[in-house]
Amino acid sequence: MAEFIQQVVSGLASGGVFASLALALVLIYNAMGLVNFAQGEMAMFATFIAFTLITRGVNFWFAFPLTLAAAFVGGLVIERVVIRPVERAPVLTLVIVTLGLATLINGAAGFLYGYVPRSFPSPFSTQTVNILGAFASYQDLSVIAVSAIVLVAIYLLLQRTTLGLSLRAAAFHPEASRLLGVRVSWMLAVGWGLASAVGAVSGIMVAPVLLLEPNMMQTIIIYAFAAAVLGGIESPLGAVVGGLIVGVTVNLAGAYVVGGNLELAVALAIIVAVLVIRPHGLFGRPSARNV
Amino acid sequence: MANAILELENVRCGYGPTSVLHGVSLSVPEGGIVSLLGANGAGKTTTLRAITGGVRWVGEIRFAGRSLRGMHTEDIVGAGVAHVPEGRGILTELTVDENLRLGAHRRKDRAAVARDYERVFEYFPVLRQRRRLSASTLSGGEQQMLAVARALLMKPRLMLLDEPSLGLAPLVVRSIFQIIRTINQTDGVAVLLVEQNARLALEMSSDAYVLEVGRVAVSGKSADLQGQESVRRSYLGY
Repeated sequence: MAEFIQQVVSGLASGGVFASLALALVLIYNAMGLVNFAQGEMAMFATFIAFTLITRGVNFWFAFPLTLAAAFVGGLVIERVVIRPVERAPVLTLVIVTLGLATLINGAAGFLYGYVPRSFPSPFSTQTVNILGAFASYQDLSVIAVSAIVLVAIYLLLQRTTLGLSLRAAAFHPEASRLLGVRVSWMLAVGWGLASAVGAVSGIMVAPVLLLEPNMMQTIIIYAFAAAVLGGIESPLGAVVGGLIVGVTVNLAGAYVVGGNLELAVALAIIVAVLVIRPHGLFGRPSARNV
Repeated sequence: MANAILELENVRCGYGPTSVLHGVSLSVPEGGIVSLLGANGAGKTTTLRAITGGVRWVGEIRFAGRSLRGMHTEDIVGAGVAHVPEGRGILTELTVDENLRLGAHRRKDRAAVARDYERVFEYFPVLRQRRRLSASTLSGGEQQMLAVARALLMKPRLMLLDEPSLGLAPLVVRSIFQIIRTINQTDGVAVLLVEQNARLALEMSSDAYVLEVGRVAVSGKSADLQGQESVRRSYLGY
């Protein structure tokens, strides 16, 4: 039983990481109906920025918000420079652009930092704490806490502020929003910035566990896809719940059922199962289209 | 007209190769109500879309003496033009209150916004009851009320209303038009009203223009047009 609880806690920690990246995917999906395949690479690059700051002697808790700010600006600039010229293009064009962006960022990180995995300094103690007989690491508990704070912050931003209201309005009805004075094009850029910052959280949280290198996020992004699809690709709440479910499921399956090597296959199975059984996910709305 | 809030001079525009407006000139006096009539496809909606920058146009459009050439929709709206579009432009994923808040979201005069909220709920008590509900749960008439209420919260100098009566019961139409008139009189908001219901529109407005295939076919005082049987029969269908 104690080991089971440990596995669940550690699954929740992975889930927090997946949830952050899945939320980033959902933010951009909502804004422009596009799955951003570069989201993981953007998070990875932001993590390298955090790494650079920390190895230059900046305190982690100072480097963290600084990196999020840099990621926000980076996302904003990417939208203005790369996405805006093709904003009205068919979705396939946009997908190809984000794939190209992923390759570009991956290559840039490799060029700048090399492909040798580096250990990322964790601000959290690796010691464990005894909860009801089960041992949970401070590392896991802290990742859960940080993810929760970020997700609540995003929720409050979207639901309680005028900026959030404008972001949602622009995402749902660009034309009608424009007539209410919402700067729709600018909202898209802000959406990219936010997504980039939220994604960066997942990179920074996972780096101490995985070792930092340019391909670090390539499996994480698959888990994040699974989380987003499970939650319903347009639902921020769904991304969070989906992330936690995927994290725990994958961890338990890895520990008790399929073994560690097949964990990724579990995520892919979740994607396929959701698309077959309930394409709109747990929290999405079924969509109908006249053809 | 000497003090026009809105002037269109020989405005032409279209969608792609299709030309829709072939030179429309009209003018809305400060604080006045003007109706824009005509059959389906005459270019009424396109005229409104041109004013708020939804389609490219040539010619000249001036709002409060200033040319709107090359301006973005958001900035035209920010300058004081509230456009209630065809289909009302309700954001059905949001609540009634969120729709209203979007109307006022660019205003800085918080005290005045709070007062306007009270007025809006006085005009449309049903919106106060439904404040927290999703806008998608409103009936057609209630959605139209929400659209007008939201436009009022934008504190415009000019309202463009595209077929506010469409699909609504006559009684509901009456009450909405009554409130549009009240807003016009108490706030001095000018109104450019596009309507299929010509009889009602002519009763409301001081001046009227009748569009026919992208051109102004007839224009004049609403009362005069109402009185001319030939105009009524050929263009207004009643």
